[in-house]
Amino acid sequence: MADVTSAAGMRSILEDGIFEVLGETRPVSSLVIRASSLRHQSSVADISLAPLSRVRGILVNQVLRLLSIGAHVVSPFDEALGAWRLEVVRSELVDFVDQLDGDERARLETDVTAHAVTLMRSLGDLPGSWRPRTAVRATQHLCSNAVILRDIIDLMVGTTSSEVASVALFDVTTSPLGEGAERAMRYHALVQTLRTSVVPLRTSCFSTATGEMWSLDVDTDILVRSTYEVLDAIERLWREQ
Amino acid sequence: MTTLAHRRNTPHELNALICGAPRTPITLTDEHRRSLSARFRAVASDTHRRLDAWIVERAGKTSTGFQWSPATARRVLATGALRRSARHQGLSLIEAINDEIGDQLARSTSGFARRGSLGDWLSGLSATGIALVTAEAANWAIQSAEIAEWVSCPWRFAASDAYYDVARARTTLRGRRDLEVELDESRVILRLRAGSPGKSAGPGLRSDLTIEALAHPDGLAPARIIGIWPEAGVCLSVDGTMDDLRSGARDLVRTAVVQRRSEGARAA
Repeated sequence: MADVTSAAGMRSILEDGIFEVLGETRPVSSLVIRASSLRHQSSVADISLAPLSRVRGILVNQVLRLLSIGAHVVSPFDEALGAWRLEVVRSELVDFVDQLDGDERARLETDVTAHAVTLMRSLGDLPGSWRPRTAVRATQHLCSNAVILRDIIDLMVGTTSSEVASVALFDVTTSPLGEGAERAMRYHALVQTLRTSVVPLRTSCFSTATGEMWSLDVDTDILVRSTYEVLDAIERLWREQ
Repeated sequence: MTTLAHRRNTPHELNALICGAPRTPITLTDEHRRSLSARFRAVASDTHRRLDAWIVERAGKTSTGFQWSPATARRVLATGALRRSARHQGLSLIEAINDEIGDQLARSTSGFARRGSLGDWLSGLSATGIALVTAEAANWAIQSAEIAEWVSCPWRFAASDAYYDVARARTTLRGRRDLEVELDESRVILRLRAGSPGKSAGPGLRSDLTIEALAHPDGLAPARIIGIWPEAGVCLSVDGTMDDLRSGARDLVRTAVVQRRSEGARAA
């Protein structure tokens, strides 16, 4: 059966924890937590945050969006770039791609194609009855907007309207899987639980770098663990402010 | 006093809001319509004015020119697909979206699509662009279908948004509606929005309530209007009371005044 009771408990843990961190004071601007806040915990520069890696990740995600509705992707780089440009007219990263020279662009194209081919081979066809939706956004305002949890789930299948848990969350990363990916998987499950009040069945992460997939059945322990990871991230952000 | 209520967007809360809606509907009379028309006429306008909840929420600030994008096209395609899949059993939502896009493209090819219309924009897109638009519309359609499945009372997807032309005031009001739930003698309107509700979400919802009542042939106000923000997991509701209808009408007139002032400032 779908768990529709845990969400309230998670919200209470978060609200109480945030009060312990912030006390009576309120941040000037809301503290925003994203999956990336949990993925990269240290202040050491991470190669996956470099513009080229970010563009690669965005383009592979565009390929996922096209595949989710059964589109036949022949030229992953060009098609993903075309789809991205349709969504985002102007941004720092679009400008970055525009100013790449021929060699750099060719390297990016090869890289994106390699990751996309891994994704296409592993994903297979997604039946429409699974209700696949991509780039699903979620926002949760906590403690009178002192903290905002934001999340984007790359691919979600299943429904919250059935009596049994059937929602599966799928995160695609172009980096190898590590502890950070595990924290992000838990975070996706937590934010989805808070948003819909229904605990998802499973949260997964697929690496197009290694072809590896990690999957977790979501239960209360996973959600509680994620709330503490979120509270740690809030504390770090608050100290930096 | 406003009846604005804030709830989590869960099947239980949503059904409680629907079932708990007041059972005696309020009716707007011809006198109310005349009074509103007089107020709008008092706010002169050089061009035809179009007002909706979005403009009310932005306090009359004119937005930059509208452009079609996957995000702006998704609701039109998704609601069409939802109605289509409700009519044809066995048609999946993605197939229904493909059919909707096919219809738009056919309209454009046969010369029936106006310049700047959705069909015209779609006809200029590559196959990849169409696929992305389909993916975006699928997100909206699946989300709407899921919320509709939560509702325990009889419901139907709204045939269109509510439109009301204010007599002799060169003003058209557009109220957003996605789902109509039928109660014994009244109805509840559900409206879906992306993002999170802002501070002005209440006035926006009241404007939609008023427009919905004005657009009804007998002036029958919905018992309750529920605004749902699935991304944020919250819903707001406003009852169809005379106070809230008046408040919605006042917000619309105020928005027209602000627009007139900014037109005047631009001209000066």
